[in-house]
Amino acid sequence: MDRNEIFKHVNEVFIDVLDDGNIVLSEETTANDVDDWDSLNHIQLVVAIEKLFKIRFSSKEIQSWKNVGEMISCIQGKAA
Amino acid sequence: MIFDRFSFLIFFIIFFGLYWNVFNKTIKMQNLLILGGSYVFYAFADWRFLFYLIGVSAFNFWLGMAMERSKKHSRLLLWLGLLQGIGGLAFVKYFNFFISSFVDLFAVVHITLNLQLINIMIPLGISFFTFRTLSYLLDIDKGKIKATTDWVNFFTYVAFFPTLISGPIDKSRTFMPQLEKARVFDYNLAVDGMRQILWGLFKKVVVANNCAKIVNDTFMDYQHLPGSTLLYGAFFYAIEIYADFSGYSDMAIGISKLLGFRVSKNFDYPFFAQNIAEYWRKWHMSLTSWLTEYVFTPLSISFRDWGKAGLCLAIIINFAIVGIWHGANMTYVLFGLLHGCYFIPLILNGTMNKKKKLIKGNVIPSLIELFNIIRTFILVMLTFVVFRADTVSQAFDYYRHLFSSSLFSMPVSLNRFALFASLLMLGIEWLGRDGEYALADFQIKWTKAMRWAIYYMIIFAIFYYAGSEQQFIYFQF
Repeated sequence: MDRNEIFKHVNEVFIDVLDDGNIVLSEETTANDVDDWDSLNHIQLVVAIEKLFKIRFSSKEIQSWKNVGEMISCIQGKAA
Repeated sequence: MIFDRFSFLIFFIIFFGLYWNVFNKTIKMQNLLILGGSYVFYAFADWRFLFYLIGVSAFNFWLGMAMERSKKHSRLLLWLGLLQGIGGLAFVKYFNFFISSFVDLFAVVHITLNLQLINIMIPLGISFFTFRTLSYLLDIDKGKIKATTDWVNFFTYVAFFPTLISGPIDKSRTFMPQLEKARVFDYNLAVDGMRQILWGLFKKVVVANNCAKIVNDTFMDYQHLPGSTLLYGAFFYAIEIYADFSGYSDMAIGISKLLGFRVSKNFDYPFFAQNIAEYWRKWHMSLTSWLTEYVFTPLSISFRDWGKAGLCLAIIINFAIVGIWHGANMTYVLFGLLHGCYFIPLILNGTMNKKKKLIKGNVIPSLIELFNIIRTFILVMLTFVVFRADTVSQAFDYYRHLFSSSLFSMPVSLNRFALFASLLMLGIEWLGRDGEYALADFQIKWTKAMRWAIYYMIIFAIFYYAGSEQQFIYFQF
């Protein structure tokens, strides 16, 4: 799956989980940039992404992402 | 030396003068003065444990560097640090609690254990500075910061006197960078700090201390008072603990601003929260943030295969810790568990994460907002009864008396001033709720003449209406 496709899917997950149709993610987006994205719903985003791409992240990986770009790279590595 | 005492004023005036006029030549000098001042401050409050504070600082400083030097042993060293921090905290705070609970547990099956309780003294501020050192080690382990080789900076981070005794709890990665840069005197920041101190002092001395008398009298004599008075008792205690702790926090933050530091926010008008999740995003924020990052998030990641049940479990554990952090009493554990349970409906219907923000700038809340605010406040107020009670059975006894038919009889004479001060505080905070603290937007909203009129009124109130002196509630934690 190419990066742009992954990006589109992840964006859709965010819109769905955070219930906000206005979300547009970029490579550098962090939790500070998205209004409803905090530690409480972070885990739901992770679960939704894991289900969608049929992958599994390690605890270390989840806590290592500093922005959406890094998250996408991680997905790319696993969904290949 | 406590912020609302005269001795602190003297100390701070001298310190402030030295800080900005004598020791401001280099960063090192600035930090050394803070470190020295912090130890003097701590010694005045509790000299016996100064050695413990210094020892803990030295140990964790060494651990940090050792973790950085040897990636292979890094995990082991982290565990050593966790053992020292949590172990030390657990020992001084909870040893007797564990022994007593252990004895009680065996008593249930009629076995008598003869275990000795030890008379342990609790180092002042230990719950707070322990969390600072733990955050440092955990951040190094996760690669969020690099260990520092500057012992002055690290020791200062641990002992920073404005926040040493009762927080806010700053994570090392937000505080330490500020120690690495020179602080330049910022007049506007200093004025802002003074304004925040003034407001904090008002809340503590005028509101909290005046509520304290009613609360103490009510809780001492609750068995002979009508339920309506017990309701007032619960209400005033909620007000008292908020005014006391947020007042202290405002002073700590304001004092830090006077020294050129920005420390963590601790309160965001929690009594205007519309649900319990919102409440905990606004109450004792530095503790919530700490636990969310280092306890809740790892737990929720581990439990993510169990869906909503997993989230519920993570929340319950998280809040049990919030409870027990306060001290060695089942009342605190129950307090935490109650709050954890309050989250369950929100988790089940998926609204835990939806932020429920108030409409900005409205002078009057909407009907729905008002309903949500009152409902949340009542839920929280009821948990403060168990928080305040000496034992769980006393708390339940209080509830029993509260929810009896005497709830509808006339309350025993009310302290009108305490009520007035409480409502005044709530009113001012409501109008100022879009700002960092209630008076933060003063510069914009009022003319200079009006501002100074209000400042003088507040200062007058502080001197004239000061309730009899009460120790800060959170000093005991």
